[in-house]
Amino acid sequence: MVVTNDVELPTFSDLTVPEVDLTTSTLMTAAPYLGKACEVINNEYMLCRYELNDPRACIQLGKRVTECTLDFFRKLKKNCLEEFNQYAECVDKSSGNYAFGPCRTTQAAFDGCMKDKLSMERPDFGYFTRPRIHCSPRPAPESPPCPCAKKFPDATPSLPDSVPRPHSRFSGRFYWTTD
Amino acid sequence: MSEACQIARKQDLPPPGGYKPIPYKRLPAKQLFSGYTIFAGYIGMTVGAIYLYNLTAKQIKKHEIEMRSAKMAIYPMLLAERDREYLKQIRRNRDAEAELMRDVPGWEVGTYYGERVYKLIPPDTLVEPIFHEYYAHSSPSDWYRRAYIKLRS
Repeated sequence: MVVTNDVELPTFSDLTVPEVDLTTSTLMTAAPYLGKACEVINNEYMLCRYELNDPRACIQLGKRVTECTLDFFRKLKKNCLEEFNQYAECVDKSSGNYAFGPCRTTQAAFDGCMKDKLSMERPDFGYFTRPRIHCSPRPAPESPPCPCAKKFPDATPSLPDSVPRPHSRFSGRFYWTTD
Repeated sequence: MSEACQIARKQDLPPPGGYKPIPYKRLPAKQLFSGYTIFAGYIGMTVGAIYLYNLTAKQIKKHEIEMRSAKMAIYPMLLAERDREYLKQIRRNRDAEAELMRDVPGWEVGTYYGERVYKLIPPDTLVEPIFHEYYAHSSPSDWYRRAYIKLRS
């Protein structure tokens, strides 16, 4: 209701790109490597998204994020497909919440394959929960100027200072105290 | 009267040997542990429980951190996908509104008969619609499904 014709929305053709059509178990098993491979563009996208607070401003970056993910999965498919499929199946079927605990042997096989063929190492298990430093080419947006409250030229004038100010009656925190 | 004394009748008499003595003295409860023993037992059990808890708590925390790390790694990709679909849906909503209110005199899309809803923000700002507005032109099953997931997670 509140989206007027003045609001610029991207067109459908602008927003149609090849999407990542993969299941959650596939994404969760590939997550550490995917995060490391696409770290820069992911960080840039999240920075844009949260600084500018507008989904429209970060569409190009979003397309590059999806492209990076697709590239990574193409590389993975070409090189380590068998080990990855085995590991993904294990993660999918061993627990109800994609837990990595029961699948350490298949994980070791997959890690070995990634190390040999793609020379990618798995980052340590809490890597993406820690804050990371990202050097962005885009300058920071300017914060709103202060004072942030608008001044109105025809504001109602307030009472003069000479008006007596009696003590307030119900000034306390509780409704039963009157002082 | 005299005959009653000669016939033997069953009488409610005390048992042979008399009644046993009635216990009237206080019988306090049997004290299994003294006060200090109870305190010591409580502290000992707490210490034991803390130790046993900590044996697996660290492991469980590590599993949680690993899971969270994996989710954060894939979050940007999912957010980008979702943003694209979100903007497409907003455009569809705006087009549907224009179509529905085409013949209503005085109606401009996104305003209340020409009057802007949000007056103090620049006209180009995207005000993200509320849940019901976003799903206004979709089938109810879509928004039931979304509401269910949102409330459950």
